[in-house]
Amino acid sequence: MRAQFVLQEIWIGLRRNLTMTISLVITVAIAMALFGTGLLLHNQANSSKNYWYDKIEVSIFLCAKTSSNPQCAGKDAQQGEKDALKAKLQGLPQVSKVEYESKEDAYARFKDRFASTPGFVQSTKPGDIPDSFRVRLKDPKQYKAVSQSVLGQAGVDQVINEQEILKKFFRILGGLQSAALIIAGIQVIAAVLLVGNTVRLSAFNRRRETGIMRLVGASNTYIQLPFILEGAIAGLIGGILAAVLLVFSKMLLVDRLASNIQMASKLGWGSVSLVIIVAICFGVLLCAVASFLTLRRYLRI
Amino acid sequence: MVRPLGPRGSFARMVLNRRDAAVIHFDNVTKGYKNQNRPALQHVNVAIEKGEFLFLVGPSGSGKSTFLRLILKEERPSQGHVHVAGKDLNKLSNWKVPHLRRRIGCVFQDFRLLPNKNVFENVAFALEVIGKPRRFINKVVPEVIDLVGLEGKAHRMPDELSGGEQQRVAIARAFVNRPMILLADEPTGNIDPATSIGIMKVLDRINRTGTTVVMATHDAAIVDAFRKRVVELEDGRVVRDQSRGVYGQAY
Repeated sequence: MRAQFVLQEIWIGLRRNLTMTISLVITVAIAMALFGTGLLLHNQANSSKNYWYDKIEVSIFLCAKTSSNPQCAGKDAQQGEKDALKAKLQGLPQVSKVEYESKEDAYARFKDRFASTPGFVQSTKPGDIPDSFRVRLKDPKQYKAVSQSVLGQAGVDQVINEQEILKKFFRILGGLQSAALIIAGIQVIAAVLLVGNTVRLSAFNRRRETGIMRLVGASNTYIQLPFILEGAIAGLIGGILAAVLLVFSKMLLVDRLASNIQMASKLGWGSVSLVIIVAICFGVLLCAVASFLTLRRYLRI
Repeated sequence: MVRPLGPRGSFARMVLNRRDAAVIHFDNVTKGYKNQNRPALQHVNVAIEKGEFLFLVGPSGSGKSTFLRLILKEERPSQGHVHVAGKDLNKLSNWKVPHLRRRIGCVFQDFRLLPNKNVFENVAFALEVIGKPRRFINKVVPEVIDLVGLEGKAHRMPDELSGGEQQRVAIARAFVNRPMILLADEPTGNIDPATSIGIMKVLDRINRTGTTVVMATHDAAIVDAFRKRVVELEDGRVVRDQSRGVYGQAY
């Protein structure tokens, strides 16, 4: 096997149908980038799910002058009511921890969280956010029992399960993830068909050469290898472009998303590079296998 | 102690010897193509000895090309066996076919040169694709180019050569790996009679090195002039097998 000869054949093949090769590279790049994005979103969702489900709390907001709940009758919750509520919550078997957050604490936390959007902070005064009990559950799923036993108690405005909010968020994340994977799947199909066409064109362009090669007794690997490597190289270039896109999407999409919505667990470069390696290998393998299968049909020995 | 051979034993040995001696042996070969009523070859029995020069003549469609394709295992016989170099091609596995073809050179009417390669590169291509080292190629290719009479034209492109010269390049490419058999499918079909004689001289020179040459042709003048063995096909049957024959009575 003479490497120089094979490389020369590959170069000729890639150059002869350059436009096909370019479109193949682009398709593979998009497919692999979306595939990688799907994997990254999946990783991100999983790690933040774990993080958040550990910290999940049920917030029981107490009556304030500003609350619209008729039960509160426009009055703040009395200290007695608060004490009774706290005792009751601590008595529940599902509850692991109860914390009281005063109006001042709540305002401080709000100010802290939205420090980057001063307009938000300025339009809010201390006392706008009602005081609340933050209840940590032993099992986040037993939220219903807690909320039912507390709702309707004197001084309770509303009960909010953070899990519900998180669920909505994760549903969006999951949707994005499956959208990316579905589009990636469609692109993979397109890439396979494109590889088939490219290799077929390439085989047709070089039918003189391959005909002579067959005639003088070149082995099947010798005849087919340039075509398969041609596909693999296109796949590799596509995979590398996909890697670049993934790095950008990590920096511009995931990181920005994470900083905006306070995703506690940041996606590390380690998992990104893992995804990149997987994407490149997948791209190369995809193209090589697709060209091999096409060759079996169009380059009968 | 040597066991005396009975008449059956000696007969079997004789047949075996004959088959072994024959480089190409068609054993009752019939070849039919799909969607065609009449087979391209019917019950063909031909044995070609090592070093022979054989003309395959007959009208178009008489099965000459099928005969050659069967030797290359580009087709499989519908019935019967084709033996090349003592091997039954029916039993030859597909991955061994390239090795069979390395021992057979091929020349065609339409030359089949690569237009973007010069004479040297065209001939070298046949060695490159079977993985021969560069040093060997550089030594052997000029020798063969000289042998076919193209001295000093190694760096010409095919379109700068005459038809006869192009065919010489094709012959050089077919012969560069020193094959056991050279198949020529109407090699003078595109060439004027005067140039054809030059081509035939090259083929004769190759034949003299011990290579078996099988040449399918329509060229009566050449067949008559050379007086080699002639196998005539008609409608897929061998109608004449004559040593030192001529093209045909009708002519």
